Amino acid sequence: MQPVTITLNQREVSGRSGMTVLEIAREAGVYIPTICDDPCLEPVGACRLCLVENENTGALLASCVTAATPGMVINTHSSRVQEHRKNIVSLMLASHPDACLVCDKGNRCRLHQVAAEMGIGEPGLEKISRHAAVEELNPFIVRDTAKCILCGKCIRACREIVVEGALDYYYRGFAARPATFNDSPLEHSECTFCGLCLSLCPTGALMESENPYRGTTSEAVQSTCSFCGCGCSVSLEIKDRQVVRVLPAPGQLALCVRGSFGYEYIHSRDRLTRPLVKKNGTFEEVSWTEALAAAGEGLQRAGEKHGPGALAVFGSSRCTNEENYLLQRFARTVLGTGHVDNGSSLYNLAIRRSLGETTGFFTTSNFLETLENADLILVAGTDPTVTAPQVGYAIKRAVHNRKAKMILIEPRRTRLAFFAHQWLRPLPESDLLLLNSMGRAVIEEGLLNREYVSRQTEGFEDLSDFLREFPPEKMQEAVGIPAEEIRSAARLYAGSTRSVIVFGSGVTDTINGTGNIMALANLALLTGNVWGSGCGIYPIQKANNAQGACEMGSLPDALPGYQPVEQEETRKKFEDLWERKIPAERGLSAMEAFNSGREIPWKAVYMVGENPVACLPRPQLTEEALSSLDFLVVQDLFLTKTAQFADVVLPASSFAEKEGSFTSFEGKIGWLQRAIPPLEGSLPDWEIVLQLAKEMGDPLPYSSLSQVMKEIEEFVPLYESYYRPDDYFARELEKEWSYWEERHHRVFQSMDGFSRFSPPRPRTPYFQKDGEYPYYLILEAPLAYFGSGTRSGKSRRLRSFYPREVLKISADDAAELSLNSGERVKVVSPFARLETVVEISEALPAGTLSLPISFPGVLDLFRITRDDRRSPSLEPFYVKLERVNLDE
Amino acid sequence: MSEAKETPEINMGRIKEIIESYRHQRWPLIPLVQQIQEEFGFIPPRSIPVIAEALNLFPSEVQGVVSFYEQLYTEPRGRNIVRVCRGTACHVRGGKTVLKLVKQQLNLGENQTSDDLEYTLETVACLGVCALSPGMVINNQVYGHMNPKKVKQLLRREEGEE
Repeated sequence: MQPVTITLNQREVSGRSGMTVLEIAREAGVYIPTICDDPCLEPVGACRLCLVENENTGALLASCVTAATPGMVINTHSSRVQEHRKNIVSLMLASHPDACLVCDKGNRCRLHQVAAEMGIGEPGLEKISRHAAVEELNPFIVRDTAKCILCGKCIRACREIVVEGALDYYYRGFAARPATFNDSPLEHSECTFCGLCLSLCPTGALMESENPYRGTTSEAVQSTCSFCGCGCSVSLEIKDRQVVRVLPAPGQLALCVRGSFGYEYIHSRDRLTRPLVKKNGTFEEVSWTEALAAAGEGLQRAGEKHGPGALAVFGSSRCTNEENYLLQRFARTVLGTGHVDNGSSLYNLAIRRSLGETTGFFTTSNFLETLENADLILVAGTDPTVTAPQVGYAIKRAVHNRKAKMILIEPRRTRLAFFAHQWLRPLPESDLLLLNSMGRAVIEEGLLNREYVSRQTEGFEDLSDFLREFPPEKMQEAVGIPAEEIRSAARLYAGSTRSVIVFGSGVTDTINGTGNIMALANLALLTGNVWGSGCGIYPIQKANNAQGACEMGSLPDALPGYQPVEQEETRKKFEDLWERKIPAERGLSAMEAFNSGREIPWKAVYMVGENPVACLPRPQLTEEALSSLDFLVVQDLFLTKTAQFADVVLPASSFAEKEGSFTSFEGKIGWLQRAIPPLEGSLPDWEIVLQLAKEMGDPLPYSSLSQVMKEIEEFVPLYESYYRPDDYFARELEKEWSYWEERHHRVFQSMDGFSRFSPPRPRTPYFQKDGEYPYYLILEAPLAYFGSGTRSGKSRRLRSFYPREVLKISADDAAELSLNSGERVKVVSPFARLETVVEISEALPAGTLSLPISFPGVLDLFRITRDDRRSPSLEPFYVKLERVNLDE
Repeated sequence: MSEAKETPEINMGRIKEIIESYRHQRWPLIPLVQQIQEEFGFIPPRSIPVIAEALNLFPSEVQGVVSFYEQLYTEPRGRNIVRVCRGTACHVRGGKTVLKLVKQQLNLGENQTSDDLEYTLETVACLGVCALSPGMVINNQVYGHMNPKKVKQLLRREEGEE
């Protein structure tokens, strides 16, 4: 590229072509004040502070939007420029309220900083204040447009980065201000409370709500968000040993409502601060020494009495990689049991099995950056704007900013429907028929990538024969979508060589879960869109470290790195390393065990960070199972429903109080840093495990976390060089990206080069829609809640925003039952009933209901079933409604 | 005042037809909303999300454009638009009194529309007919050399024409 040389303050400086004057000045170390400029946003030249003088023409130019041209002579601080800048700031101050004393923005206020730099005190102009009602009804953001200086950062961020478009300028001139559509409050607009505008607002116009005055914080610590599988980098601002604010870390574009506002659980009063031991049926606070002794003794006694096969250990998707590694080693060597699992397996076993069998790789095959650069995105059965917001942002950016195309397969009208080019709404349980018929259309119309199929795959002939049963014309009635639409979706997907697939629980947690994933993988394989630039398959993982927990071997059938426990050479490798014999048989999965209720084959369980009573279907069975155990140790932040059944409860520390790493759903490592000391009385999970092992007379040979990391590097495939927190926190993003690309390459190399087509045969649902149970029930995840709500439910603001569950019902069904929003109904499934409140929703098609997963009683309605490949799914999906008569 | 206003029935079907005829044009937003205003007298806020979805814009963006232009309206306007000039020439020749009288006569403030949607009163910075000052315009017809008597007559006649 041609360099551009300009004269800047009597000095020759060069930049690359296309650079703005501001960028060149910054590279040359010349300071130009700015307010509306942000490296992540398109420049608009709104604040005019970056004015510079072009000495050739005498023109004053906004340097952030002026491209540098050869021969320009620029003065950044001529007296004329300075005078103009002072005027601009004075004018801003003249319409800005004199509320600095009580404004929480304090010294972080950019307007304040700029005025101070220029030595402007009293503006010397008549004050014309803006008057605006302060909007503060929602629990997250206080909006006071009287303090707004119209820099447009909130508007641009909302449109360009999170692509919600909730805000734009409203009116003109002095009356102009950022507003939502119809000027409605944020909670009634498209706003998702991601908090991005809050982190960018230069003044106090947008402030975090319900926060006592905290002003400038002295310390910010980078860490990784503890909620979903996206693993966002967060910056925790600390004051007086408390996390008082969470912002996106450098390089992280945006967070979501959970990441920005859900941190309150760290300081919840309900946190456990003393170990508890149950004596005569009631918990008593005891010392750590006593608790560890009781835990160790209980496990030991059960092991001696019933054999090590009667013991089980739960790792957790909430724990770090290192903790999960320690836990599975603890289980396999100290306790000698192969029963190790983590709570995410209910949701990702089907993914692991079917992707493993088809594409040959167990999880997401590419990165978010690739997703954002795809030309076509097929989204099936998921609302990533809720379950994995970063994926949602990436998809919306691809469609809105890059004009990529999107096909949405989803019965609900989710936010993505607004962005979709083709929106397919299949009838309940017909996803597999739809996906198979798309596959059939691809083959029949000759849209497949023949070269890829013959070179890289096997089993094509079988699949092709099998798919003959599924022509779109034959399927259209069962699917509820005209054949031509199915064909055009297939053409759209196959017509791009940069297509990605994103899918989630809507297709995986169904009767055909495994089959759906295979059918999606088949589509990718047929068109050669599995690997490479712009291609990929992205299963959405719910919990933050679900990926890491599985990769670290917190699984009944695999040692670290998905290495099968039944393989002798793998076992040998770890046996040599750990100098212990490892059980050779695969263990029982947690769900299999807990769903046997009283028949549970275990006698003692060590449960870390999981709450199966709240997150497995049919909690009664889990409760029965837990109460028939001889001994239960629970290690958690809170006295959860599961912990109530424990004999010993060990208080653990939250993510902000410890070190370690999480693996995001795309396989990237995010590091934690200790931002605050562990809450008095609690300990990080890894320390507890080490102490417990010591207590049981078989100490694990680590004295620090870094020794665990070294071992992981050496023995877990794909983690060879993961131990790099220093690099990670330096946020050298280019370096980081090249590391991930290199890893991706290694993954690809490690495959045997062949992928297999698997013909997915649809199963008949156990419970068909019939007169008795006429409604199909969908489980949803509300944005403000996460998983079972163990932590998000302790975050006051999230809780107040979404206080209780509501049953969503389509307008047609509501009319038929003459129900109005706010009325009470009973949802009845063959297993349980739940009394709740209805809300009429435009998002649902007739015949479909939805309930949020995070609330008590919801999961009682379901039962786990196993499909023919032993991957669990939820059953049934059909329910009926009964009106609640208030007179009764 | 505006709360009591009766909102006319909006034929959303027709609005969708208009949107359909513009959506594939380049830069369709402004001609599209002008067309809607031409036919309905204003741009019904209810139509904004529909317009936005068709043009791949956000409702807030469409609202931003509509609220930016003085001559795009989101509220119903009267069947008769009365514009009174407040330019310098009119001012020195009693324009202020004319405005006051018109306000009294119509019982309306500036930029207000009567409840029965008969009149909308607006002021204009200059009509460009200074020779006829003080002047006003009713439905694109210019009336010059206004005085109290003429105002009364004129507005009564307007009513009489109903």
